[in-house]
Amino acid sequence: MNDLHAVLWIARKDLLQEARSKAVTVATVFFSAVTLGVLAFAFGENPQLMREGAMGALWVALAFAGVISAAQSWQADLEDGALEALLAWPVPRAAVYLGKLLANWGLMTALGFLLLPLAGGLYGAAIGGDGAAPPALVVTVLLATIAAGTLGFALIAVFYAGLTANLRARESLLPVLMFPVVVPILLAAVRASNALVGSGDLDLAWAWLRLLVGFDLVYAVVCLVLFRFVVEA
Amino acid sequence: MTAVTARAGDPAAPVTATATTQAIELRGLVHGYGGPPVLAGIDLDVAVGRVVALHGPNGAGKTTLLRLLATRLRPVRGHARVLGHDVVRQAHEVRTHVATLPVYGGAYGALSGRENLRLGVALRGGGEDPEAIDRALARVGLIAAADHLVRAYSSGMRKRLALARLTLADAPVWLLDEPYAALDEQGQELVDALIAAARDDGRTVLVASHDLPRSLATADAVIEIAGGHLRVMARPTRAPAASTSAPMDGEGAA
Repeated sequence: MNDLHAVLWIARKDLLQEARSKAVTVATVFFSAVTLGVLAFAFGENPQLMREGAMGALWVALAFAGVISAAQSWQADLEDGALEALLAWPVPRAAVYLGKLLANWGLMTALGFLLLPLAGGLYGAAIGGDGAAPPALVVTVLLATIAAGTLGFALIAVFYAGLTANLRARESLLPVLMFPVVVPILLAAVRASNALVGSGDLDLAWAWLRLLVGFDLVYAVVCLVLFRFVVEA
Repeated sequence: MTAVTARAGDPAAPVTATATTQAIELRGLVHGYGGPPVLAGIDLDVAVGRVVALHGPNGAGKTTLLRLLATRLRPVRGHARVLGHDVVRQAHEVRTHVATLPVYGGAYGALSGRENLRLGVALRGGGEDPEAIDRALARVGLIAAADHLVRAYSSGMRKRLALARLTLADAPVWLLDEPYAALDEQGQELVDALIAAARDDGRTVLVASHDLPRSLATADAVIEIAGGHLRVMARPTRAPAASTSAPMDGEGAA
């Protein structure tokens, strides 16, 4: 079959399951909102500190929510031997990975877009920059940064969640394994976001965004090549 | 033509056999999970179009053998081929020729029965054919529950859904793991009918089961797995005499 169709069918399956169970949506929205609230409380009443920490808090919330999302995305596959049946079909392993990645990335990006105004409001940060650059352009680049950052995160998260899916200690192993690998993504995403929200410095943001996209490409190639070893016997 | 050959009760005494077209070929197949090997160097040939039942106690290696043939496990040693394709080196080709019936059904609970079948057909490369899916659902008695979520199905209904998916796969080799489990009498008769139809269609069927009477009624040969080895324990009289030359109970060639 057309591999792209397989990717879309697997992504559709995961999103349909999520639309019905809402397991990931409820857990990640609640968890990340609490994280943003707690970190805002921890920053105290220093408006400058709050503004500077807004994007860092956003990415911390997204990162922890992303672990939940990735782990959950494999959970339904493990029930009743569904993954076993799926992998016995003539489906390219890359299509399985990309399908799950697509669904996971979609959910994380939607969460990021939802959290962005929440973080801006809660931390008093100007999402459109400080006026040096057109606010619409700043927001567009900021949304692109969130999309690129969540893509990099999802690339790693789905890969490692698949690797640990059959392990008894998967909940504790998943973050231990993936966070060291995902650090470059988070650093680049935080820097690009901070450059936009803090000062609307598009040049600096572009530099970090290009680096972020570079990381995405590297991780995409590595994960695609290695994923079949994750799911093959 | 040989339909089924296996090593005799004495694993050191391989049964010689020839076959022109083998659907399943195992040579010196070894697999284990860290302890004593579950499969200790087994040889088996199953000719195209034959129905072979696998029997043995729990943990004897029936499911392991089916998973090896379905490419879900890799042999520790030895070779396994399905229609001439090696299960390790040509895994994708093997998957295109094999349809499996997992013991737990293998369906997604958050999807409806119909959605599960559509997914299965699409991922096997089939086109959209709602009528074929409806026919398959009707055949297994699930048409009324087709749009209910599978999580609301009983275990017997899940097995029926897996049977519907099996028939839609249109694969020349079927690997059935405990197909009678969880099914009522009517459902078990349905499995018998599907196996008979598969034989008529020229498919090769390997069935892991604990239901010896049904195996004797439906299979061309019944093979026992025990102690990591295979032996042909019964050749039902309904099977053509020329189709099998494997020994019975290790007592010698028929």
